Amino acid sequence: MQFEKQIEILAPREKVWKFIWDIDRFIACVPGCKDAKTVEEGKRYSATMVEKVGPFKVEFPTTIEVLEREELSHIKAQASGADNKIGSRMKIALDVNLREEGNNTVVSFIAGVDILGKLAALGHGIIKRKADQVLDEFAQAVKTTLEGDK
Amino acid sequence: MSKAMTRPADTQTIPVSFTLNGRLQEIDVEPNELLLDIVRDRLGLTGAKRSCDVEVCGACTLLVDGRPVSACTTLAFEVRGRSVMTIEGLAADDGKLHPLQEAFIEHGGFQCGFCTPGMLLASKALLDENPDPTEEELKHFMHGNLCRCTGYKKIIESIMAAAKLMRGNSA
Amino acid sequence: MLKRFRLEEPESAAEVSELLGRFGDSAKIYAGGTELLLAMKEGLIHYERLINVKRLKGLGEVAGNNGTIKIGALCTHRQLETSSLLQEKLPSLVKLEHNVANVRVRQAGSIGGNLCFAEPHADPGTLLIALGAKMVAEKTSGKREISAEDFFVDAYETSLQADELLTEICLPTPGANSRSAYLKFGYLERPSVGVAVALTLNGGTVNDVKIAVGCAGPAPKRVAEAEALLNGKSKDEAVRLLPQAGAIAGRASQAMSDLHGAQDYKEHIVGVLLKRAFNSIVS
Repeated sequence: MQFEKQIEILAPREKVWKFIWDIDRFIACVPGCKDAKTVEEGKRYSATMVEKVGPFKVEFPTTIEVLEREELSHIKAQASGADNKIGSRMKIALDVNLREEGNNTVVSFIAGVDILGKLAALGHGIIKRKADQVLDEFAQAVKTTLEGDK
Repeated sequence: MSKAMTRPADTQTIPVSFTLNGRLQEIDVEPNELLLDIVRDRLGLTGAKRSCDVEVCGACTLLVDGRPVSACTTLAFEVRGRSVMTIEGLAADDGKLHPLQEAFIEHGGFQCGFCTPGMLLASKALLDENPDPTEEELKHFMHGNLCRCTGYKKIIESIMAAAKLMRGNSA
Repeated sequence: MLKRFRLEEPESAAEVSELLGRFGDSAKIYAGGTELLLAMKEGLIHYERLINVKRLKGLGEVAGNNGTIKIGALCTHRQLETSSLLQEKLPSLVKLEHNVANVRVRQAGSIGGNLCFAEPHADPGTLLIALGAKMVAEKTSGKREISAEDFFVDAYETSLQADELLTEICLPTPGANSRSAYLKFGYLERPSVGVAVALTLNGGTVNDVKIAVGCAGPAPKRVAEAEALLNGKSKDEAVRLLPQAGAIAGRASQAMSDLHGAQDYKEHIVGVLLKRAFNSIVS
């Protein structure tokens, strides 16, 4: 599943870039994500993703690897996790771009989300909708946090 | 080693007293045990089959109080106080076949036989409720019993023939 | 195989509510189990406790009095399918129930369980919305009514609180000029698109139009905008406006592209079913 999102943040690019690497605050913007840890600064992180659709709950201990990094403009990362209780795996390929627009920053990202295993039984449509919601909430949370940060 | 011997001491068990093919049975089951497993594994009646395991195909059909249920998705304790019929109980005690069984044989209503126990029990439930179904009514009732071999035509003919016989007309 | 769980067998709605409050997420109501047990067998969910509600008295009847039809939440689809009262007053609901799943699922599955599990690809909710049904929810501190259109929040999510039990579905007894129809489409095990229409026919005019769409999106929805378009019109005028109403209803369905079909395909089918359902009750 592919998702493309774009969000304009009323904050300068340096501030947005810095925020991204402030792992605790950044991860706090991802709905359902907790226990963020730095494994290797700038390279590898871990977190736990908990998502719920009605009574169905998944808990993915997730590893996030930064594959590419261009200062102030581009990040390519990969997140993967498995919920062994349910028998499902999750993979997200993330491509993030930052662009300056006056005093503001336009953050655009492409997320390739793959959910494998039992969870797929829920139906592609439901999962896609959920993933879309999570990404929307995430983008909004980043914007709100940064803009509220005076 | 039987399952009963490996239960932890505080496991909840439910006493289930029920009639199985006309005979009283008394067993203890755990809440999570499925009727199909009890019937097949504990009671040795393997006519009912686990096939789709999601209540769609009908190969696990049993009659509980004369009504068809998916044994694969029925908790075993639910039959307490009820009467259960498996395919092994369809023929009479002396071995005389039920008219449905006779009809399936005579009209070629089965090939590999995997779906057949379910087909017979479901059609018994149909005819017990509606002794003179139209073909539409028959198809609708039997909609949840799938067959991969016959293409259904002979099954329908078999059931209609049995119905006619059971209503007292000559076949 | 199912993982172990404890079975609770309360005898009253208050007890059920108390158990739900006490055990929270680790307990779940169990009636027919036709949805719940499937999900548990798949390993998608697990509960430490199942609360068997089939011992509760008075929840398994269909009754009609004082202009209201009351359907107990524990009524099975098979009961509704064969109810002579419903056949007389709400034949559209009987037809819907007659075509739910297969006879074994109808034998075990309850209408309450169907509504509360809120599986997107399900039939009853859509028609109940068009019929103006109200769901009665009980907990230890009392009862409340939830209109059907407010009952379904999202896929697998209703507006029931964690310690509430659905006990009854109430429907206004349709008048002599009331008509309703539910049509569904699908070729997989579960329905892909469902449309319900209800209205009163006064001479050549259609009034009290209610339209609901389901199965295509995450939850069944009432389509007030399409209703407003057709309401109060002459039969012929309304029929002429059906394509427009259908397009509105299609968008309102929040159709999701999945194995059942693409979003635009489902939206199109909504329009087709609306046209057919409407025509079936006005001609």
